[in-house]
Amino acid sequence: MFELKKIIKEEIFLLDGAMGTELISSGLPQGHCPEGWNEENPEAIARIHQAYFEAGSRAVLTNSFGGNAIKLAAYSLQNKTYELNFKAATIARSTCPEGRYVGGSVGPTGKFLKPMGELSQDQLEQAFIPQIKGLVDGGVDFLLIETQYDLREALVALGVARRETSLPVLVTMTFNLTRRGYFTLMGNNPKEFVRVMEENQVEALGANCTLNSREMVSLIEEMHFLTRRPLIAQANAGKPEVQPDGKVKYSQGIDEYVSYLPRLIAAGTRIIGGCCGTSPEYIKKMAEAIKIFYK
Amino acid sequence: MNSEQEKILQELSQAIIQGEVKAARNLAEKSVAIGLSPLEVIQKNCVPAIEQVGRLWENGDYFLPELIAGAEAMKAAMSELQAALKASGQVMASAGKVVIGTIEGDIHDIGKNLVAAMLRATGFEVIDLGADVKLEKFIETALMEQADIIALSALLTTTMLNQRKLIEMLVSQGLRNRFKVMVGGAPVSERWAKEIGADGYGENAVQAVEAGRKLVNRKRGYDD
Repeated sequence: MFELKKIIKEEIFLLDGAMGTELISSGLPQGHCPEGWNEENPEAIARIHQAYFEAGSRAVLTNSFGGNAIKLAAYSLQNKTYELNFKAATIARSTCPEGRYVGGSVGPTGKFLKPMGELSQDQLEQAFIPQIKGLVDGGVDFLLIETQYDLREALVALGVARRETSLPVLVTMTFNLTRRGYFTLMGNNPKEFVRVMEENQVEALGANCTLNSREMVSLIEEMHFLTRRPLIAQANAGKPEVQPDGKVKYSQGIDEYVSYLPRLIAAGTRIIGGCCGTSPEYIKKMAEAIKIFYK
Repeated sequence: MNSEQEKILQELSQAIIQGEVKAARNLAEKSVAIGLSPLEVIQKNCVPAIEQVGRLWENGDYFLPELIAGAEAMKAAMSELQAALKASGQVMASAGKVVIGTIEGDIHDIGKNLVAAMLRATGFEVIDLGADVKLEKFIETALMEQADIIALSALLTTTMLNQRKLIEMLVSQGLRNRFKVMVGGAPVSERWAKEIGADGYGENAVQAVEAGRKLVNRKRGYDD
């Protein structure tokens, strides 16, 4: 039984770090569908989850970030949406130790609703329904609707989740820091986001991606003023830079990244994890850093 | 210019800045009907208006919905004005021809679509190859279309390496001087662009237009 309220009373709930870069370093070929590996190479996915659990993650997120039918259609896999998500959930479940949890990752479609794009609300719903059904049937403990840039799309995914399951639903959006403050790509600000999430009584909400751990602090602070719901922060490890040897390094670096954790927690974060550029190594250091906050 | 003409031009600029597609089309039509030169309307009103939209977006006053609406309104006005130009036997010089796409291995297309929309809105001819585009396809299309610029988007640190590959392919095929190469995408930086020998880089869609203009001018032998 996953009782988020109880958990966060006792601890800062630690999620996992990036999946995409781990898949690539496990040999996912360029241009290959990441969710396709749930069927073709489940061992590799399981190893990544295991590494995160060993590093100290209290929950891992399924390999289903791009698992909606619209994104899968780019690989002609839209008819396997349910199966690939079901597999994603069962793989994570199979690696999950007693007392740890599995969250079902639901990312954005990468397309826009009308009038900015071609998508209708109904098409969007149809893209999320088989994904969320697959994740729920596969045994996730909660859903994380993440990296959303359009509040309308986040709401469609949330609506589907509410209809399909009574599991807790967590929602994160991705904000950019502009001259006038934090905004999503579509211009949603934290206030609007929090208000809509309050109305829909999400179990937790927050931000991920784009911002590094330093830039994330005042965004979480801002949200903390607006809501008493648990806040999620999953920052990037800075910006990617290609080194002369072709390897990619993220600009913030592990020590600086982790050094902002106390401030993130002081700002109100109760659920924390990593985003682009983070790895089991980051999670291990984060687990050490947040120990002192445990009651 | 009389006051009615001035009023229509002002309203046209505002319609583009506010992203009002229908109004922009109607006002463009009206401007021609009352005897204004389509070419002048484009150059003195429409282009500055879409540039204003770009500035508002860069400054964080506008967001993606407003930017797209502005580009759509511009497109609507331009289609009226270009039709009028054509009818009068004139042609407007293209700002340049761009073959654009998200590079092989990468299905992300939000950024690329934005750049394509802004390039179109500012008078470029754009051939959009979509996402996950094979390197060969960029070169084939650019040759066939006699493009000025190949514009490559990449959203992943892994696929941005293909930007370097494309430039290497152009060199090995003896085509490096035929096309200017522009790169962009979230992980792409000016430093990366320089390192791989790209000709231009835009941090966002507005800067991409600026870079595109400079490259076409250079290609046509004008000063920047």
